[in-house]
Amino acid sequence: MFGQKSELMIPQEAVTVFSINNLDLLKKIGVDQLISYDFMNEIHQELFDGSTDNKSLKDAGIDFDQRLNIFYGKTQNMEVSGFTFGITDQAALFSVFDDFDPLPSEINGAKAYGSFFNNLVIKNNNGLLIRVEPIESYVSSMTDSIWFSRGNLSPYYQGFDQNEAFSDDELMSQDISYELLEKNYNELRDSIQYVLQHQYLSEVFKGLFQEGKSLYSLSQPFREVLIHPVAGVFYMDNERNFDRAKNLWYLKSVLPSLYLDIQELYQGNIITGDLVLGAQSIDFNITASYSEPLGSIYLEMNDAKFDKRIAKYIKEDQSAFFTYTINLEHAYNKAYEIVLPLLEKEKNIDLSMNVLTLKLANAFINKDAVFDAYKGCMFGTFNGVKKVKTRKIEFFYNEDTFEYGERETDAEEEMPIFTLGFTTGRPDVPELILAHLSTITSNFEKTPNYWVYNKAIFDAAPLYMINTDGLFILTNDEDLAKNHADGYGKAGLSNKTLKTIKKAGSMSGFANLKAVANQFPTDFLLPEQVPLMESLRGKSGTMSLRSGKTTPRNTEISLSYGFESSEDSGKHLLDMLNTLYLLTK
Amino acid sequence: MKITYILFLLPLLLSSCIEIIDDLSIHSDGTGTFKYSINLSSSKLKVNSILSLDSLDGKKVPDLAEIEAKITEFKNLLSQEPGISMVKTDFNTSDFILKISIDFNSISQLQSGIKSVLIRLSKDKDQYAIEEDWISWDGKTLNREIPSAVTSKVKSFEYSEIDLLKSGMYTSITRFDKPILKTSNSNCKLNPSRTASMLQVNTFDLKLNNSLIENAITLTP
Repeated sequence: MFGQKSELMIPQEAVTVFSINNLDLLKKIGVDQLISYDFMNEIHQELFDGSTDNKSLKDAGIDFDQRLNIFYGKTQNMEVSGFTFGITDQAALFSVFDDFDPLPSEINGAKAYGSFFNNLVIKNNNGLLIRVEPIESYVSSMTDSIWFSRGNLSPYYQGFDQNEAFSDDELMSQDISYELLEKNYNELRDSIQYVLQHQYLSEVFKGLFQEGKSLYSLSQPFREVLIHPVAGVFYMDNERNFDRAKNLWYLKSVLPSLYLDIQELYQGNIITGDLVLGAQSIDFNITASYSEPLGSIYLEMNDAKFDKRIAKYIKEDQSAFFTYTINLEHAYNKAYEIVLPLLEKEKNIDLSMNVLTLKLANAFINKDAVFDAYKGCMFGTFNGVKKVKTRKIEFFYNEDTFEYGERETDAEEEMPIFTLGFTTGRPDVPELILAHLSTITSNFEKTPNYWVYNKAIFDAAPLYMINTDGLFILTNDEDLAKNHADGYGKAGLSNKTLKTIKKAGSMSGFANLKAVANQFPTDFLLPEQVPLMESLRGKSGTMSLRSGKTTPRNTEISLSYGFESSEDSGKHLLDMLNTLYLLTK
Repeated sequence: MKITYILFLLPLLLSSCIEIIDDLSIHSDGTGTFKYSINLSSSKLKVNSILSLDSLDGKKVPDLAEIEAKITEFKNLLSQEPGISMVKTDFNTSDFILKISIDFNSISQLQSGIKSVLIRLSKDKDQYAIEEDWISWDGKTLNREIPSAVTSKVKSFEYSEIDLLKSGMYTSITRFDKPILKTSNSNCKLNPSRTASMLQVNTFDLKLNNSLIENAITLTP
């Protein structure tokens, strides 16, 4: 089984895998430079120390002809993370990964090593670096169970004033007075965590090395995606993500047959992606696969046409925008046709009553009117940061007495400007709602071209609502409401861009990274995130998203990043990965 | 205690658009009233945005109820201090204006009362800085300065919004029963009857030079 490829050592518990094919891009990057990326913290914090100075990955004995596979997985009880890689020189490897000590290995033909958090297994010049952690909530519940069964009180009960301060000597004498042979709560928890960690690690190793069950051997889609001749591939098994979803425990235990039916609906729900590095572009082509019943819903959902009236409310030079076009009515009808029979089969009385309610609602509600009010075509734009008018209280002084009073005056504050809009066949519905709200509060005002809701945002800035020409638009952009309520005219999206959006299917998006970075308010970024945003400002690049063909079994989505820079795409890729990591963590 | 830290640092972090007034009235018998107002109404959007966050710069952001509870705790603790009475607080949560009014029997009791409460609330490691004197009154001359606990914090802030910083204002008003003879700070204004002084400094200048608010006010004998 373990011929030459390290991807064969990815455990079956892995749900997400990012596999870098072209390791050449890493050859020129020094270890210290690579580990300076924040995303590397997650996988290498125990691997590198001061001894890695001036060493490159090439010095680490890693085989650059093989893939580097980074994986993550979560089951009901444990989290598994790590990466696999090829090895050309084990001595060189341990000169960099020098925190590992040999472990008594029970794996045929393999050597196992351990550090404080991670384990390293080397078999046939393939390396598996793995960390297995029991799920924290599971450890806690098991600890609580044992702790209370021993007749202990809550570990958080202190029986004295919480604010009472104890000196170090008092705390020390308290510790000494405890029963030394009896573990306290935290010690018990640590012991349970340690035992579970070893148990789960053994389970993972048993599956992988004794039973020969790896993600590669068990998943056909994973095997397929690995043969794509691209720089990197991505794999995510949503079917198993569904299975371990915590909020489904009720369904699983109380309505097991319904759970199985819904699980069947999610069968084959796998997302794979190809990462293609061009000279001045990085393309991420994603395929979302699903079961046929679910696919038939998506197919109906995507049977929609983009409403071109939206185009005049998006500027051609907009920093960032997205459009989303779905046919909600078709999707509802199809979902009703597929999901209702599953629900009907259940004999549970509560569920049965809910099904009856759903049937009655379906029979009596005017669905055409509902889906005409929100037709399923929407858009959003980021318009940069602008000063918006607010009100403030200021103090004024009597020059004779220096007594002071308060008065309300105009003020200006900076805030990000967003617009969100959707098409509607029933402009009378939002009009009815707004007219009603205006009778409740004077903050709602109607002008000839728009409605304004004063102090809507953070009790300070106004929100404008434009209800015109089959579109309902919400924005905090005063300029759009007051000067362009009928759209931007010639400054709107060009016919060429419009054509691209129409072709894109249900989703399309665009971002001028430099413009967004320049306009992004850095006030609320963490200090370590600010330099990264600053570095993005120095890069010129555009990012575009479009969904492609939808079939009963899959949908294609592509994310393209184009840039003008002398830096190679590998460096750009690492920068982008780091940006995404920092902004999403 | 993080919440105290945030409560007292928030005005300084937002000093871009802040108005602070400290208004001290001292009668001939040494009693008086100290009023302190922080006005963040011109930063409403920013304050509301921060309050909507769970944490900022690694520190938990308190919600309005927690801030109000902390203000009430400050009020209750200060009311119990010797020589302090009639402690009133008013927190306008829509415009973010905090007003505190304290009657005192003597300047030294006012100072030790505030110090004592701040130490109890902050549980700060650097309590020595809070314990430093920032005001003194000998019946003839009043000396005021900014406590080093505040100045060291202020110095550590970065000037990311220098233009806006210049619009913040710190106003220090001192009132007496007798006319003022002289003041050490040349920027200090006196009212026509010379019974009140006013010193106004913008927050940006104050960050650059904290001695701008230092003043020694001497009364006519």
